[in-house]
Amino acid sequence: MIFRVIFSTMIVQMKQSFARPMFRFCLLANPMLNTILLYEMYKNSGEENFMAYVVLGAGLMGLWGCICFSSAGDINRERYSGTLSLIFVAPTSFPIIILGKIIGNTLMSLLTLGISLATAKILFGIDLVLESPGYFLIALLASVITFIVISSVIACLLTLSRKTELYMNCIEIPMSLICGFVFPVSVLAPQVRIISYILSPTYAVELMRMAVWGVIDTTLFWEKMSILILLTIIYTLISVFLYKKIDRRVRIAATLEVA
Amino acid sequence: MEKVICVKDLKREYHKKSGLFKKNKNIVKAVDGISFDVYEGEIFGLLGQNGAGKTTTIKMLTTLLAPTSGQCQVLGYKTFGEEKNIRSKINFIFGGEMGVYRRLSARDNLRYFSNLYLIPANLQKERIDNILELVDLKDRADDLVETYSKGMIQRLQIARGLINDPEILFMDEPTVGLDPVGARMLRDIIRKLKAQGKTVLLTTHNLSEVEELCDRVVIINKGKVIYGGTPEEIKGDSLSLEDAYVKLIEEVSE
Repeated sequence: MIFRVIFSTMIVQMKQSFARPMFRFCLLANPMLNTILLYEMYKNSGEENFMAYVVLGAGLMGLWGCICFSSAGDINRERYSGTLSLIFVAPTSFPIIILGKIIGNTLMSLLTLGISLATAKILFGIDLVLESPGYFLIALLASVITFIVISSVIACLLTLSRKTELYMNCIEIPMSLICGFVFPVSVLAPQVRIISYILSPTYAVELMRMAVWGVIDTTLFWEKMSILILLTIIYTLISVFLYKKIDRRVRIAATLEVA
Repeated sequence: MEKVICVKDLKREYHKKSGLFKKNKNIVKAVDGISFDVYEGEIFGLLGQNGAGKTTTIKMLTTLLAPTSGQCQVLGYKTFGEEKNIRSKINFIFGGEMGVYRRLSARDNLRYFSNLYLIPANLQKERIDNILELVDLKDRADDLVETYSKGMIQRLQIARGLINDPEILFMDEPTVGLDPVGARMLRDIIRKLKAQGKTVLLTTHNLSEVEELCDRVVIINKGKVIYGGTPEEIKGDSLSLEDAYVKLIEEVSE
């Protein structure tokens, strides 16, 4: 039954999201534009493998943008369309429904990586090198899971507030910068890097980048993967704790509806 | 008859903050110590002016809102704390055009809510077809809801409210915006539900609807119950229920 709820929620979410022009822009146009921008920035930088920063960077920025504006923004859309209260009081547990929405969005948002890759190939004709495809797939899978868990925490917190749009705009760009989607976090100030390394996407990006360049030091790859898994487990526990809290809190604070 | 809703000295306050730097806290008493019981198979009306506390009461009964204090029980369970025992057995319909997914078809909406209400897959198709026929949406069932008229959206809301075959149906101004044919259709549905032994709690401003449908009503004003009884008892010697209602409201407002 739970899988049917998750699957049907995924399908509903994908249909709903794709019907929105803003989501289509984030999913299709945004990665193309980001790829062009990043290619122009990196073409004289000395970095020869454009896969590492241009394609991956633009794809991840697009992926994160879609997650922010859909997984997080959906809470507000549901609130304004009067369906948030309906799904909240359905016999299915609310976190399961939110999980279905987030999985649907995240899987669809993975298209940004493909679009970014196609843009780089078609527009600039550059050779895109992926040295360790097996490791890349493992890193990508871990990244998808960690993004789903992070989205779940964000969606949960946004259920508590009606200022959802403000918050999702506040987290979109900073997350891309702090987690090093388009440049290595080593260029950031040491104080900022502390934040980078408590955020799991930082490790996800580093692992994918390692796979693009070719994993020479497998110990280092698995070390980073272990940290990523550990952080994802911690976020999952936080998410479970928060959902238990918000179940009471939203009904006390009356934030499920607009008025 | 068994008591299915029990409300005793129920209160709900909203805390509102105003001011940019110096926050002023205002407490709004939306529901201020109301009490009433509803019995199985009854059609029970909750009447009152706009802002009287009807919707807040329904939201507490449907497990959407936590009461500030007092007793609020549905089917013998607390609506805050024991809601898991209640949710699969109730449903609610709020008037207006909210509460449906506009970028899905009516059938997809109902299929999705069937899944959320954990209705077995083998029962879903037949139930959805029957409900679509009941609310007269079968011909447009596969069109996107965003192409529907206001009345059609409201009928879809009604269909959604019936999807889990609820023991108790809560309706908050369900006929607002419905054309006379749609409103009559809804009244027929409510009567059918009563014939099946279901309980309906409804709020409405349409007093002829109350006279026609409700077994008992309570009138709420500024969060307090000011009268309770059958529509005939409220009407008393007045020419109409509306006259009696207006008189009661004016008396307490003086």
